[in-house]
Amino acid sequence: MIGDLVKGLATTVRYMFRKPVTIEYPEVKRPVRERFRGKHELKRFENGMERCIGCSLCSAACPSDAILVVPAENNPQQPNSPGERYAATYEINMLRCIFCGYCEDACPTNAIVLEHQYELSYYDRRASIYTKDMLLVPPDQGHGAIPPVLEQVNRTPSPPAQIEL
Amino acid sequence: MAEIIITVDGVQITVPDTMNVVDAARLAATQIPVFCYHPRLPAVGMCRMCMVAIGMPRIDRDTRQPMLNEHGKPIIQMFPKLQPACTTRVADGMVVITNSEEVKFAQNGVLEFLLTSHPLDCPVCDKGGECPLQNLTMEWGPGNSRFDYSDKVHFEKPYKLGDLINLDRERCILCSRCVRFQDDLADDSVLGFDQRGRKWHIISKSDPPFDSKFSGNTTDICPVGALTTSDFRFRARAWELTSVPSLCNHCAVGCNTTLDMRHNQLQRVMPRDNAAVNDIWICDKGRFGHRFIEREHRLTTPLVRRDGQLQPATWDEALDVIATNLRAIQAAAGGAALAGLAGEHLANEDLFLFQRLFREVLGSNNLDTRTGVPGEYALDDVGYQYGVGVGTNLMDLGKGTAVLVFGADPEEEAPLYMLRLRQIVTQGGSLIVANPRPTKLDRSATQTLHYRPDSEREVLLALLKLVSAETKQIPQRTTGGAELKGTLEQTKLDAVAKLSGLEQAALAQAAQTILAAEHLLIVYGADVLVHGASLSALLANLLILRGKVGLANSGLIPLLARGNSRGALDMGVRPDKAAGYAPLKQAGLTAREMWPAALAGKLRGMYLMGSDPVASYAPARAALDALAFLVVQDTTLTATAQLADVVLPGTNVAEYDATYTNAERRVQRARLARKVYDASKPNWEIVQAVAQALQGELVLAGAASSTTVTRTVGGNGKSGDGVQGKLTLTTSTASPVAAQESWDYITVGEVAADIADLVPGYAGITHTALAQTAQTKEWGRQANEDYFYDGTSYTNAEGVGLQVPAGAELPKATFDLTPPPATKVPASSTYPFALLVQTLAYRNDPFLHDSLLQSHIPAGYIALNTADAAQLGIAAGAQVQLTSAAGSLRGTARVVPDLPAGCVLVPGGLVDLPVATIQTGALTRVAVSSVAE
Repeated sequence: MIGDLVKGLATTVRYMFRKPVTIEYPEVKRPVRERFRGKHELKRFENGMERCIGCSLCSAACPSDAILVVPAENNPQQPNSPGERYAATYEINMLRCIFCGYCEDACPTNAIVLEHQYELSYYDRRASIYTKDMLLVPPDQGHGAIPPVLEQVNRTPSPPAQIEL
Repeated sequence: MAEIIITVDGVQITVPDTMNVVDAARLAATQIPVFCYHPRLPAVGMCRMCMVAIGMPRIDRDTRQPMLNEHGKPIIQMFPKLQPACTTRVADGMVVITNSEEVKFAQNGVLEFLLTSHPLDCPVCDKGGECPLQNLTMEWGPGNSRFDYSDKVHFEKPYKLGDLINLDRERCILCSRCVRFQDDLADDSVLGFDQRGRKWHIISKSDPPFDSKFSGNTTDICPVGALTTSDFRFRARAWELTSVPSLCNHCAVGCNTTLDMRHNQLQRVMPRDNAAVNDIWICDKGRFGHRFIEREHRLTTPLVRRDGQLQPATWDEALDVIATNLRAIQAAAGGAALAGLAGEHLANEDLFLFQRLFREVLGSNNLDTRTGVPGEYALDDVGYQYGVGVGTNLMDLGKGTAVLVFGADPEEEAPLYMLRLRQIVTQGGSLIVANPRPTKLDRSATQTLHYRPDSEREVLLALLKLVSAETKQIPQRTTGGAELKGTLEQTKLDAVAKLSGLEQAALAQAAQTILAAEHLLIVYGADVLVHGASLSALLANLLILRGKVGLANSGLIPLLARGNSRGALDMGVRPDKAAGYAPLKQAGLTAREMWPAALAGKLRGMYLMGSDPVASYAPARAALDALAFLVVQDTTLTATAQLADVVLPGTNVAEYDATYTNAERRVQRARLARKVYDASKPNWEIVQAVAQALQGELVLAGAASSTTVTRTVGGNGKSGDGVQGKLTLTTSTASPVAAQESWDYITVGEVAADIADLVPGYAGITHTALAQTAQTKEWGRQANEDYFYDGTSYTNAEGVGLQVPAGAELPKATFDLTPPPATKVPASSTYPFALLVQTLAYRNDPFLHDSLLQSHIPAGYIALNTADAAQLGIAAGAQVQLTSAAGSLRGTARVVPDLPAGCVLVPGGLVDLPVATIQTGALTRVAVSSVAE
């Protein structure tokens, strides 16, 4: 019996001198993997335009019906996004979301990305609905050039393509 | 039409020889992909998507018989190249191969080529999800492209083809369906092609651009997202919409529509296939004019006037005030001091209960659907008595059909009739258009008669004389033949010709067409409806003489004012007849008689349901002010509602389940698409609540006179339901208006069942029966297999309606030939001109507020004939003044060459030119003078 006690305490003593695995959350945060799927972000292009064109394909792909998109027409003078259409309302219900990432796959403009933020807790259910301004990244954090297919507003009629023979 | 045998992919089928290969293959359950072909349009073979291999039996030149091989089968000789299936007619023994490698190669090639200049912006395209190009690419496309993605053609966008329709020229595949629809079906050749090669695109040729009342249909038949509506632009994706079957109530056609809803909001209106009513089309008024459904400033709670102000109140309070006041008026001055007006857009159930409320509970026959405007439509009983028979389907009619359009402009009054009448002509029917002025339908007519205004009666008598001369035997069950004969003997053809400005030969030709017709349809509109039976009875006489009464595909079609005008007449919301045209012992006041009665103090209380007399007839305001008590039930705080003592929040067509009766007496059902506001309820429920409240009031009065009354108040926990429960009177001496029937309907279906029981003709027309007329058994949105290449055409899975028999179809009906007395307004030297008031489709209609059509409402004008204008020294654009016995009106002159001399044409129902203020009756005589600048 004493032998067992010593054996048990020996484990305790051994671990006392090891580096602890617990992290003092929330002061210290554990890094996540590169492909971790956390809170969604709506990305921008490098010129600050929203990547989201309000096509609702994320919402169509969503298996838990967590996304609501209400599209609207861009004001050509002050477009929110390249092209004619943008998302006037973009909401994700984080309580419904299962973080499967299908919305990322469905997005034709890589606008929605599941990023590394995982602190999603709220005091009431209404607060679980993340609106567009909570999801959208700041205008200076855009990346990538607008692909030609999206740049259709104010585009002058082009002559037939010049093919080098 | 002979039946022949063809073979499609090894399957032998028998088809009519008039079919093309695409349609024939569909009978063999083989889909041939198409873009440009549409079953409603002539085939052109532009897209080359339907290329198939076709072979014919080899014919022996000597015997003219098919040559047989060693197995005794005909030798098939294939055409050396693929053939377009849509432009190829089937022939006996034809062999069609749609699944060979060669055909697949061609289909792949066409799709790959179409997609070289298609932007593939499906994510932002409104057609995405119901797009034939998407569907066909998935099914028949190559799956990849050899073309460089960055070499796509680009056009500037957004590009508006008109203010209702957007064109995306990059997406357009140039199938010309829209151009052909406008040219061939709508008769508005406003679209065309411009440029060539890769710059080739659709343009609008009209000013204002895309000026057509049917423009929205081009977006339905567009096989790509090139044409989209401004109304639905970027509102939702196709798969997010919930489709609810509904009806358009703007005019008497009663088009079947689908309300596509999302989040309890109307996103778009789409046509619902109904071959007997609107086929697969709706007009722009139906498509874009439904934004009233979610109008801002809706009434959400009852309002009661306290201290001179309308203040929100509970239903109990409001109903209590109504019951107390109506009962007080009734006790003091009798039921005749109460009157009710109801809108013609309301459902049969609403109107039925409304007249029950007045006749049974309040004891009043003062009911009307009109508002007393001079020159408004008379109650149209002739259109019921001699209406088109049960089983009429205008879409099937063609050769052997004669249509007489008399005094009507279908394009403005009931736009979809334009398509339907044009189709009859296309299928070989004759169309006589008789009007005082040119209309757009004239272009489609086989004969046009432009008679002078106020010669309608003589023209009809002349036609009757010509027809009766050829009629050997007057049909049975006919009365009044002698009177008609007497009148016709006095009618002299040469005098009529002189008076009406028509050639005698033209009248004879029209009579010949009528005599030769197997099916005789008579469509009449505003110009006849204002005169009422004095003209429409003569039209009916034409039918009686020809023996075409009570038969399918023959009869009268009145272009009544609104979607349920016929239903309102059937339900008895009128002073002179009860539900089902049952005669009354004593007729009540018409709307026109109500206003003087109110001013004289004879009429003291009114209940207006969906009626806004102040907006349509300004003098009504003083009369309404003079009333002791006014209840208004409407969806918004209208000008009339602002005068009311109690305002009840009503509902519109999208907000409750109900039935409506169209011009051809087809009863159709619209369903609940949108949840009503918390405090509102369906109109019929409100009427029932008022009736119940009144009965509760009766109970109290009865208790005072020691009558034993048991009253069980239903405690269903819902607040604001008024007095719920049954009322049992143990003695019927308590009041002269003791309740004959209980007011305990729980569902609208029970009201409809009561209508079916009590209104003759409506027997069997219950909500269940209406739902059973669906074309498929399954409910919900299903692609329409007949037009499967459309993307936006859906089967009618919710019921196509049931027709109520016309009066003449009843077993003991008699037909009265007695010509009605003439009602003439003689021209005088003071007022030499006849005022023609044009009914416009786009007018100042509260239902069009908030819609895109608001900008299509024209500015008012006063149109004059060129000669008259020259004589009066009036130039186009000058200010002129019209003076009648009732008042005067100023407006801008327009000089029109094809208007008949001696008349002035003014559009009705406009704010800037309220022509109703100078109208004196069915026909107004005016003087025209120019106004010095």
